[in-house]
Amino acid sequence: MANFTKSFLNNISRTLPRLRKFFDQLTDKKNTAETEFSSASKRAVGSRLYSSEVKKCTIIPGDGIGPEISAAVQKIFAAAKVPIEWESVDVTPVRGPDGKFGIPQSAIDSVNRNKIGLKGPLMTPVGKGHRSLNLALRKEFNLYANVRPCRSLEGYKTLYDHVDVVTIRENTEGEYSGIEHEIVDGVVQSIKLITEDASRRVAEFAFQYTKENKRHKVTAVHKANIMRMSDGLFLRCCRDMAEKYPDVKFEEKYLDTVCLNMVQDPTQYDVLVMPNLYGDILSDMCAGLVGGLGLTPSGNIGLNGALFESVHGTAPDIAGKDLANPTALLLSAVMMLRYMNLNKHADIIESSCFATIKEAKFLTGDLGGKAKCSEFTNAICEKIAAASP
Amino acid sequence: MSSRLLPRLTHLRQVHSELTTNSFHKIPHHIKPETSPLPLYGGRHLVTLLPGIGIGPEMTSHVKEIFATAQAPVDFEIIEGTGEELVRNAITSVRRNRVAIKGNLKSVIDEDGFIAPNVMIRTKLDLFVYVTHYKTYKNVYSKWPDLDLVIVRQNTEGEYALLEHESVNGVVESLKIVTRENTERLAKFAFEHARKHGRRKITVVHKSKQLELSDGMFLQTIKNVAHHYPDIQFEDMYIDRCCQKLVRNPHHFDVLLMPNLYGNIASNIVCGLSGGSGLFSGMNYGEDIAIFESATRQTGESFVGKNIANPVAMLNAGVNMLRHLGKSEHARLITDAICHTLTTSRVHTPDLGGVHSTTDVLSEIKRYIEDVKHLN
Repeated sequence: MANFTKSFLNNISRTLPRLRKFFDQLTDKKNTAETEFSSASKRAVGSRLYSSEVKKCTIIPGDGIGPEISAAVQKIFAAAKVPIEWESVDVTPVRGPDGKFGIPQSAIDSVNRNKIGLKGPLMTPVGKGHRSLNLALRKEFNLYANVRPCRSLEGYKTLYDHVDVVTIRENTEGEYSGIEHEIVDGVVQSIKLITEDASRRVAEFAFQYTKENKRHKVTAVHKANIMRMSDGLFLRCCRDMAEKYPDVKFEEKYLDTVCLNMVQDPTQYDVLVMPNLYGDILSDMCAGLVGGLGLTPSGNIGLNGALFESVHGTAPDIAGKDLANPTALLLSAVMMLRYMNLNKHADIIESSCFATIKEAKFLTGDLGGKAKCSEFTNAICEKIAAASP
Repeated sequence: MSSRLLPRLTHLRQVHSELTTNSFHKIPHHIKPETSPLPLYGGRHLVTLLPGIGIGPEMTSHVKEIFATAQAPVDFEIIEGTGEELVRNAITSVRRNRVAIKGNLKSVIDEDGFIAPNVMIRTKLDLFVYVTHYKTYKNVYSKWPDLDLVIVRQNTEGEYALLEHESVNGVVESLKIVTRENTERLAKFAFEHARKHGRRKITVVHKSKQLELSDGMFLQTIKNVAHHYPDIQFEDMYIDRCCQKLVRNPHHFDVLLMPNLYGNIASNIVCGLSGGSGLFSGMNYGEDIAIFESATRQTGESFVGKNIANPVAMLNAGVNMLRHLGKSEHARLITDAICHTLTTSRVHTPDLGGVHSTTDVLSEIKRYIEDVKHLN
């Protein structure tokens, strides 16, 4: 019966063009439903956020200087009147029913609810039974891509000027899949896993990121001359994705070439996408080019949300003394705002931060100044107040 | 006379048994001939020359030119070709001559599968260590002045085992192999090398937090060897922190000791910081065989036929080879010529920011050598 109706409608629409148009529109609407991988790039989260609502975000202050810099960031956000409500959680591991230490359930529920988190530096406790907290968070929220934009800060001079590189790294598999065996005594094998799904996901994210942030080139970094099948698969996924984004330039470079050229002239690279290990090393190297981990933001994008963090250590020697530099966490928070499409607020906070560093009147110890964290924060807040209407 | 023939016969037996097996990687058995001197015919050494692709043929011919000018007593046995045949001929020749100089060899995919001659030659000849010495030249632009770093890198196993398979459609596994035997040999070589050349500190680079078994064993084995060398300062560092530190403060390091892939990355970083890939050479060492090439092993495709490539890298490889052969006066002569050309005459090719051609650099080097010979 249904078949008859369908064929009847088809025949009718062929003769009546307006009716045909109506039916086409109906079928088009069906096709705009989410295709396989676009949920990641479309940021299903973002679609339900309207600019007039107040959003809830989880904040994990962390250890050491974590609480101070988190407080600084919250103060700056308040000064910029960002429509965010913070929900602070503690991820100190608790002993679960299986005896292993894990993240408390309340923290997991909070991030699952809010879908967006900001994390300060965490100290992984030493001892048996403690899994790496970062690894646990990554597995819990399926964080598949790590984004680290490295930009030279005006006012903090390094050997490299005009660095503006973004490293996008696959975060779940690759060399760090953790599959290792001792085959015989004295011979160990470690497995590097590359899957088509993960590679495609991160490649799509890379191109989407490039397009949205108005960048122009994506470079895939690989070693396919040696690891032909694994990096070859990664490259193939990147190439397939490149065809879907014809206005973004795409090139492939060997890892050695990228390393060699990056330390001589970093301006030739724009966005880099790569598997886990190369990404780990290159992103830290690029952070070193601009001034270290204390100035580099970092974001982890997942299927179920995103987690933005500062990647420096807990610096226990200056904890509690109001000497910490909140720049890394602040820039990560700005990344978070852009992810949530709050670009106006993001621009104001970012430009105020850069202006304060350029002015060089209030610089913290690691940038070569003598100001306190609170003075630095206040200087930024003043600039925000001056900039806001 | 007959005792000189004996080692060569054992070599041939080993060559036959190895070439008839299929595995490209296995725990290499040590070729331990009696210590015999390097082959010498009429006072002249015979070395293998593997020109390869890209700028390899041009650069290795420049080495021959300069050796002729300096009257170095070295003859070259040139091995060319592709694929399996090239690997077979190269290995036979290098086993006979025990010393070689090479360019980058072409990787091919033919009916035998994926042939990567560079990796295969290193593995089959058991060249387990790769040493590169990065020393900045005065008056040559480098991001950091006065750098003097040695990188000792594992050369046969690790990520370069060429063992990959696709277990399920869309899922590829690549194996990284680390053995205690190779790591121990590597560590002993590194510490002996450091002692011989007056180096004071060795930094081991690893990622044992994430790769607990493989890099963990690597680190532990090296720590055990380090106990026997209390005169050399020893420290260990994670690879990401090391790369960051190299970019911000490379003077912290003296000798870096690393597994295969990390060594590749760090070598390229340090090379870029010291002046570029046109200047430095690398030495592959086995128990009894040595192969010399340019440090970063680049093909230089974009420089072919344009007369702008920097010949210094391959010339330095030639100098290292002369030193290995015991021809220290000729080595010193050519080194001085290169130094003079780069620092005093400042004849720089475009990769160093200059405007001169390859032939300009070579003429200047030849001129210096001839001047010195006239004085003697």
